[in-house]
Amino acid sequence: MLPEGSDLAFEGLQARVTIVRGLGGGTQGQVFEVDVAGERMALKWYFPNSIAADPNLERRLLASIQATAPNPSYLWPLALLRPAAGESTRLPLAVQSFGYLMPLRPPGYIGAHEHVGGLVDISLQTVMRSSFFLAEAFHDLHLRGLCYKDISLMNLFLEPSSGRILICDNDNVAIDGRDPGSVLGTPGFMAPEVLLRQARPGANSDLFSLAVLIFRLLTRHDPLLGSLELAIRCLDEPARRRLYGEDPVFIFDPRDDRNRPDPEAHPAALVTWPIYPAPLQVLFLQTFGIGMKSPERRALTGQWKQVLARTLDQRRLCPHCGQETFPDPAAPGRCWNCGRELGPGLALQLPHGLVQAAAGNELHPHHFDNLHPQGLGNPLARLESHPSRHDLLGLRNLDAHPWQALLRNGERLNVDPGQVCNLAPLTGLVTPSGPITLLR
Amino acid sequence: MAFPNVRLSNRPLHFIYLCDCSGSMAAQGKMQALNQAIRQSLPGMADVARENPEARVLVRAISFSDRAFWHIPDPTPVTDLVWTDLQAGGITAMGEALELVASQLSSPPMEERALPPVLVLISDGQPTDDFERGLSLLMRQPWAQKAVRLAIAMGHDADLEVLQQFIGPEPFPRLPEGEVPGASGHQPRMAARSRSPRRPLQASNATSLAQYIQWASTAVVGAASRPASRLGGEELHSNQNQSNIPLPDLPPTLMDPTDDIGPLVW
Repeated sequence: MLPEGSDLAFEGLQARVTIVRGLGGGTQGQVFEVDVAGERMALKWYFPNSIAADPNLERRLLASIQATAPNPSYLWPLALLRPAAGESTRLPLAVQSFGYLMPLRPPGYIGAHEHVGGLVDISLQTVMRSSFFLAEAFHDLHLRGLCYKDISLMNLFLEPSSGRILICDNDNVAIDGRDPGSVLGTPGFMAPEVLLRQARPGANSDLFSLAVLIFRLLTRHDPLLGSLELAIRCLDEPARRRLYGEDPVFIFDPRDDRNRPDPEAHPAALVTWPIYPAPLQVLFLQTFGIGMKSPERRALTGQWKQVLARTLDQRRLCPHCGQETFPDPAAPGRCWNCGRELGPGLALQLPHGLVQAAAGNELHPHHFDNLHPQGLGNPLARLESHPSRHDLLGLRNLDAHPWQALLRNGERLNVDPGQVCNLAPLTGLVTPSGPITLLR
Repeated sequence: MAFPNVRLSNRPLHFIYLCDCSGSMAAQGKMQALNQAIRQSLPGMADVARENPEARVLVRAISFSDRAFWHIPDPTPVTDLVWTDLQAGGITAMGEALELVASQLSSPPMEERALPPVLVLISDGQPTDDFERGLSLLMRQPWAQKAVRLAIAMGHDADLEVLQQFIGPEPFPRLPEGEVPGASGHQPRMAARSRSPRRPLQASNATSLAQYIQWASTAVVGAASRPASRLGGEELHSNQNQSNIPLPDLPPTLMDPTDDIGPLVW
């Protein structure tokens, strides 16, 4: 729509904006990479008919811009752009519209659908971290009194190396319960009461969509597609309305077994569900059980954050097959992958948490201070294997201060920031944040 | 140490082109324009297929002139598709083309479970065989009734009534202001109505043809694969939702003389 290479002036913006290239389009408009005074940004430009269909869009966008991004996971609107007075004549009629500037999605992020479609190699830990970041993003959004309304796989991006996420298309965000807005959501992610138009989307329907997204990330399957789907020949709108609105049944609902996954048609759900520990499964059972029809009973963002953070702490590598597992530390049981006994493992006892000693696991400020919000953004330490001797496991000090390692022979060893200490000879460590005790 | 080797279960989405290759398509480079439009649309279609793990997009094509033939007989994943040029020459066996599709939409060979198929009929003229018979055989198939049926009229000689019959009853015929429905005793002229995917799409030049082919192979495939974001303004029983798949908005096109774009100056 906006011609590539054109150089446009916008109201209230001193710098001119150069349209570098089109990045893609959706139903509402198109997104362009633009250059604003030497900085690359993204510009979403609306189709005139989508503005006409959504009279509150401009007011909502201005409110979001004023509110600023709730957390770094959002590609948040930064400024509303309208063509400057003289500029309209240079643009074709169809582009006399408006748009907004937002940060450009950095390289390295992939669409969440690539993971769900099985097109990328990714670790269970990374997917668990992405799920945590997603719960955290909704937590911070809801704490500001805002709601998202239309989350789906299409507006979620992941960085496979870190699990970090980016949420785009934030133009439907609104103050919970105030602006009716125009968007309802995306079938399959929408809460049943919204799909059936018995309720407007809001924070409680966001909780349903959040659970669907986390389920789809963790299982690569849809929580409501089981045997009931097999009875449907043509999966079209009326069929989806039944599955997701009129008669939604969670595929693992303990009280209703009509919609169990089929071993041939739905193997992903059956393979992945047993990987996850009971406290995590409980949040799905709650949201898709009693929470299906009672929006106020759905698992809250804070519960998801807490349980996902604890699940990450429980992560171990099977001593037999090397696969990632998340067993209950008190009763490890068998590996979900090879079926052999996991046995007891080395763990780190912290003032507010227990972290299994597995390469890749991290210690965070919330493990030492229970007033610190749960977060994965600033780890204090990371468990790592020795670069050549993989049987040696160490702890890297990511803190700004040196630590004291306590050796079994009573000696003390200085561990400077950035250094890794071998866990084998230790009984514990002393850090400014608090003590770390090794449990063997 | 990795996510288990599983993926979202998916359903096939059959996408079938029905291309008019009659002699008139040789005029004004129409045949070349259609070949180019389809070939250029394939990368975008592959992207949409990748973005929709719940669908397995499979493409076929029929060419019809003196007879109808499968130009691409096997349901082919879009990433494997190589478009061989269609050649123009002969008359317009459109009815036989519909019969060919009908034979493939019965189960079997159709899978027991699938997404709604997408059928795209492109023509520049009038059928010369028994169109009614072909259409009636096609519409006897439940999968054809469930299919998203689109038609593209190339140039101004295409038989819009026939294309409309293929699509199905048109939505809300827009009468001239003040006119009582049925009072004039005749159907309002096609050209006086606004653009809609439920009417034949008028491609009067190569650019608009390419836009419509692109739209059908990306936006429509996306809509048939997975539900799109829904707006509250859309009424449950609006005309958009008469069909079983809400169709995406048409692309904003260059001004097309047959499109109702309203007055230019007033």
